[in-house]
Amino acid sequence: MSDLLSGRRILVVEDEMLIVLMIEGILEDLGCHSVTSAATVNKAVSLIETETFDAAMLDMNLCGEDSSRVADALSERAVPFIYSTGNDKRDMAQGARDHAVLYKPYHERDLIAALTQLLS
Amino acid sequence: MAKDNKKSKDQKSAEAEVESFADDLGPFVVAAETTRMAMVFADACEADNPIIFANDAFLELTGFTRKEVLGQNFNFFMAHVDDEEALALIRESFEGTSQTDFEIHYRRKDGTKFWATLFISPVRDDDGDIIQYFASFVDLTSYKDEQTHSRMLIDELNHRVKNTLATVQSIVSQAARANADPKAMRKAVESRLFALSRSHDLLSREQWRSAGLVDVINDALAPFGGLDERSGRVEISGDDIRFAPKAALALGIGFNELATNALKYGAFSNEDGSVRIEWTVEPSPTGRRLHLIWTEKDGPVVVAPLRKGFGSQVLERGLAHELGGTVQLEYLSEGLVCMLNIPAPVSDHE
Repeated sequence: MSDLLSGRRILVVEDEMLIVLMIEGILEDLGCHSVTSAATVNKAVSLIETETFDAAMLDMNLCGEDSSRVADALSERAVPFIYSTGNDKRDMAQGARDHAVLYKPYHERDLIAALTQLLS
Repeated sequence: MAKDNKKSKDQKSAEAEVESFADDLGPFVVAAETTRMAMVFADACEADNPIIFANDAFLELTGFTRKEVLGQNFNFFMAHVDDEEALALIRESFEGTSQTDFEIHYRRKDGTKFWATLFISPVRDDDGDIIQYFASFVDLTSYKDEQTHSRMLIDELNHRVKNTLATVQSIVSQAARANADPKAMRKAVESRLFALSRSHDLLSREQWRSAGLVDVINDALAPFGGLDERSGRVEISGDDIRFAPKAALALGIGFNELATNALKYGAFSNEDGSVRIEWTVEPSPTGRRLHLIWTEKDGPVVVAPLRKGFGSQVLERGLAHELGGTVQLEYLSEGLVCMLNIPAPVSDHE
């Protein structure tokens, strides 16, 4: 099923550097064409405005800032995305209902399944 | 107009009633008047249960004057006058069928709202008929604020724990990728967990407000035994600028990677090598930037690695990513050089 990810351009919006490195490693192993990462809302939005992505994963909280502006930018360009969060299920953001959510820490297979689902 | 007249008549009769009340119960009224607990008496015989006595503490709590309170319906300052559930609780207490306290949301004269615990006890005459209601109010504002603050801290802690667990997961998975030998893998995991733990200790000492760069560096070097400025093998020079907790954690992990590498291959791997860490903060069109250089010398001759290990990935990709700048490693034969160019922290992390 992970064939769907091969050759894709993925945007990873996540502010914890070690988590980014792990996700990049997983996605590169799957043959993604490129994995671009952003740690802040501004960086993510400017990347979305200037580059093309097939899919994205978005942390709900970036350095204490709500990431909904990134979600809006992705939706505007019809880039499908999944959320990741360190929050628990109780305080889910309102707008997040239409998107799959990965709760940290999550299994590698759940990350792959969620991204594959986005692209199928 | 008719209504105004009626009200002022009510007012007069309420005031008269308070006077007789004060005459009858002299010392008790003085006590009720001066206690810090907000109290009122309401008339049980009138349909509207008008307030016939309010003490100073009540006036202070609500911001109303005595004139504005006397003659008003007992529930006049509720924040939600149509809160059926609260009204039912008050009715039950009036009837004497329930003797518990409960929380009601009230509104002060200035419009601000507050929660108070309300306790009502009916006052009976000699025949056992309820003639008045005695009510006391405990202001819950500071308690509620405290509760909100605690909730926020718990949420923040949960969030931090989950992120830390995901970080640990990443450390383990990277170590497993890089090391086939379980012993080497264990060492790689431990060294990073301890680095993370030391950064947490540093931030705890600083109440999670911020950490100074000098402390971050010294704490990262501490486990490498005697590698401090006194040993002559480390030289640190730059203003002790302060970083927010998240950046301080990232820098702590970064310096741990540099020190680990120096111990394995670089300036800390022989007797003579030393490291100089210096930085300056300079203005730039995009704001002030921190230029930091880690320079190793007198170690063994450096050979650039064939493939980039976890340490160099953490520095060149991870740290650069998280701090929004660039991190460059140069494997000069006389010693490794690491150059950081990142936005300087804004100075409100004091």
